[in-house]
Amino acid sequence: MKEKGKPNWLQLLRVYGTVIAAILIVIGFSVLSPTSFATWDNAVNISRQISFLVIIAVGATLVMAIGEFDLSVGAMASLGGVFSAKLAVQGSPFWAVFLIPLGVAFGIGFINGWIVTRFRVLSFITTMAMGTILGGFTFWFTGGTTIFENIPESFRYLGQSEWLGIPVLSFVMILVTVIFWFVMANTAFGRRLYALGGNEAASRIAGINVHANKNLAFAICAALAALAGILMASRLGSAHPTGGNGLFLPAYAAAFLGMTTFKEGVPNIWGTFVGAAIIGILANGLTILEVPTFMQDVITGVIVISAVILQKLGRK
Amino acid sequence: MSLLQVRNLDKTFGQNYALSGVSLTIEAGEIHALVGENGAGKSTFIKLITGVYQPDGGDIFWQGEKVGIKNPRNARDLGISVIHQDRHLVPYFTGLENLYLGADYPKRKLWLGIRWDIMREEAEKLKVQLGIEVPLEKQAQDMSPTERTLLEILRAVRVGCKLLFLDEPTASLTDLETEILFRLLFRLKSQGTAIIYVSHRLDEVFRLAERITVLRNGQLAGTVIKDDVNKDSLIKLMAGREILSSDVKKEAEVNAEPFVLEVKGLRTVDKRVKEATFSLRKGEIVGIFGLAGAGRTELLEAIYGIRPNCRGEIRIKGKVLSKPSPAVSLQEGIVLIPEDRRGQALIMDMSIRENITLPVLKNYTARGIIAHTKELRDTEDCITELKIKANGAGQAVQALSGGNQQKVVFARALMSRPGLFLCDEPTQGVDVMTRSEIHRLLRNQAEQGGAVVYVSSDLEEMLEVAHRLVIMHDGETITEFAAKGLTQESVLQCCYYPRKESEPSIEGEG
Repeated sequence: MKEKGKPNWLQLLRVYGTVIAAILIVIGFSVLSPTSFATWDNAVNISRQISFLVIIAVGATLVMAIGEFDLSVGAMASLGGVFSAKLAVQGSPFWAVFLIPLGVAFGIGFINGWIVTRFRVLSFITTMAMGTILGGFTFWFTGGTTIFENIPESFRYLGQSEWLGIPVLSFVMILVTVIFWFVMANTAFGRRLYALGGNEAASRIAGINVHANKNLAFAICAALAALAGILMASRLGSAHPTGGNGLFLPAYAAAFLGMTTFKEGVPNIWGTFVGAAIIGILANGLTILEVPTFMQDVITGVIVISAVILQKLGRK
Repeated sequence: MSLLQVRNLDKTFGQNYALSGVSLTIEAGEIHALVGENGAGKSTFIKLITGVYQPDGGDIFWQGEKVGIKNPRNARDLGISVIHQDRHLVPYFTGLENLYLGADYPKRKLWLGIRWDIMREEAEKLKVQLGIEVPLEKQAQDMSPTERTLLEILRAVRVGCKLLFLDEPTASLTDLETEILFRLLFRLKSQGTAIIYVSHRLDEVFRLAERITVLRNGQLAGTVIKDDVNKDSLIKLMAGREILSSDVKKEAEVNAEPFVLEVKGLRTVDKRVKEATFSLRKGEIVGIFGLAGAGRTELLEAIYGIRPNCRGEIRIKGKVLSKPSPAVSLQEGIVLIPEDRRGQALIMDMSIRENITLPVLKNYTARGIIAHTKELRDTEDCITELKIKANGAGQAVQALSGGNQQKVVFARALMSRPGLFLCDEPTQGVDVMTRSEIHRLLRNQAEQGGAVVYVSSDLEEMLEVAHRLVIMHDGETITEFAAKGLTQESVLQCCYYPRKESEPSIEGEG
């Protein structure tokens, strides 16, 4: 029950705790390493590092909003990168290099959704298997090797160039975040996705087309995953057949951290952004402090669990 | 000394008494029937004795000693078991594994495996003792309903059950299977087990029980000896004082009005509705009444388009509804107020505003973008108009009381300017004030040219609200009455003596 008048500190901590934690982390690193961490260059660097994670996590957030999971996002990102690099090597036009993989990913995501809605299979299993299938295809395309020869300069543009001293990647990340924040908060489509996640039976009775909306959420999620993979390949100037796989777990960690922020217990885009930022800042700061990688993993895991526990505390 | 003695048992939910001052004595080796209308308190009684609920007042004596039954495990240890309609079996466990569910498996020395042989032997002994055949090697999900019921009884007997509750055990059984069950019950009785038999089927009650306890509105209407009563006097006891439908109600003069809804020979794919035929004119409130499982909810769901139908016809204002679906229904001005408010109507963690506008979101969007100001203004109007008590349109509906949640459901329904309301238990779990507000709202809607199909288990309420009553039995609409001058007794008579009888029983066979 809500009490009026008294500011409920626990409530505030629950809603903004993650943001406060992010600020504390930044302050902590700045104190510990004022010359390397707390610099403009490093801030720009962090924004570039987290751009892939933010984009893939935004997609995962959409699927979490409808109460499902897409575990194939990592494999989708790998496939997206490889597919796009392959097209670039073959000398396809600039637009085709990006739009064809995105379109294919959209279709694959739609199939994910179709299997889940049409046959009422758990999305957990469907997308896990789909991830395996995609991984197989990626290996088939590449023969298991990294694509790095004959990649045209134009392919690297998005990943490597800067506008006004800020990486294009960071602009793309902000654009994706703002667009999907707007979609989720201000459009009928976003409202319907949240309704489906809140109560599917009630949504159906309210006349919402359950299948179409869910399929679309899966499709968008897959397309964003592929976009992250393409940008990653563009950044590196090469595409590895498992290059995107490592984004999968951090993406969900970011989305879960995000659920503890702004809107209590509800997946939301800005929350996911903050979650991804925390993970990225931790990785960056701990590396600067020369904390070994295994310790970074331990710290990141502990922070995710703490945030989720904090959100449950005081909730009646 | 009686096996079970219950004195002045009370149970309240919120401000409502679910059970009030009920006293009852059960002797060992007796079959005791428990009857009453829907919502009379039978289930609550079972749950209190089996430790699912805790009583708010009164005492329970078990074999002469006062006991507090804290949880179902506690009840089972005392020797009280219940066989439910929704059976407590693990579907993919075999009969034998289910038989030992929750009990210690006999083990080999040093925990080196389970003594399946001992379990099998013990099970065989039990089967012989009870004279029944249950395929224990079969998985529970592959068993027939009878086999599952028998298995559950077997399990109850294995843990030393002295008092067995059976809640509508024959609902899904054929006549032959019922005979097998009854033979087992008589055998248990002869071995000293007491049985409390809950059923709507009065013929069965008269065959089995020596004594019959009638509950009415959560109170004890009386405990009678079978030979002292007949079906008619029992029904009278269940119905209680004779209540005429309220005379204040304006008689609907609707015979000249056009039909809003016509349902002809409707059957759902799952056959929960087998044959439903009724119609509804503009300005009418029609109640659909039947015993539990008669298919009332399912009929509303079929009309609204969330339960697929395979035969028959639905006409809305004369036009055939070829492929019913919620979207089509809303377009045609049909709204459904579902029985399960939390499960089917509201999105609990969304705000009042988001809940109210959900089905009519397209009225508030231009090119997919929501016009928040207009949405907020209209929602606030709704809150004022229906007197929803809330901190504001942004409050999550889960923070509201049951009555106010139901008002949100109605506010949403009104948003699509409906011509036909399908209401399923719309006043369940709401306070008295809200209840009368909902009644008034529906009457106003009918007077202003709408129409209402009203389902409630509360017959008294139905007689108060409805102009006409359609009676359902076993998936079929069997008859209808004008509500004026109708008594509860005559409606219950009709429910317990359905005109359309199912297949004749094959007594004494097998």
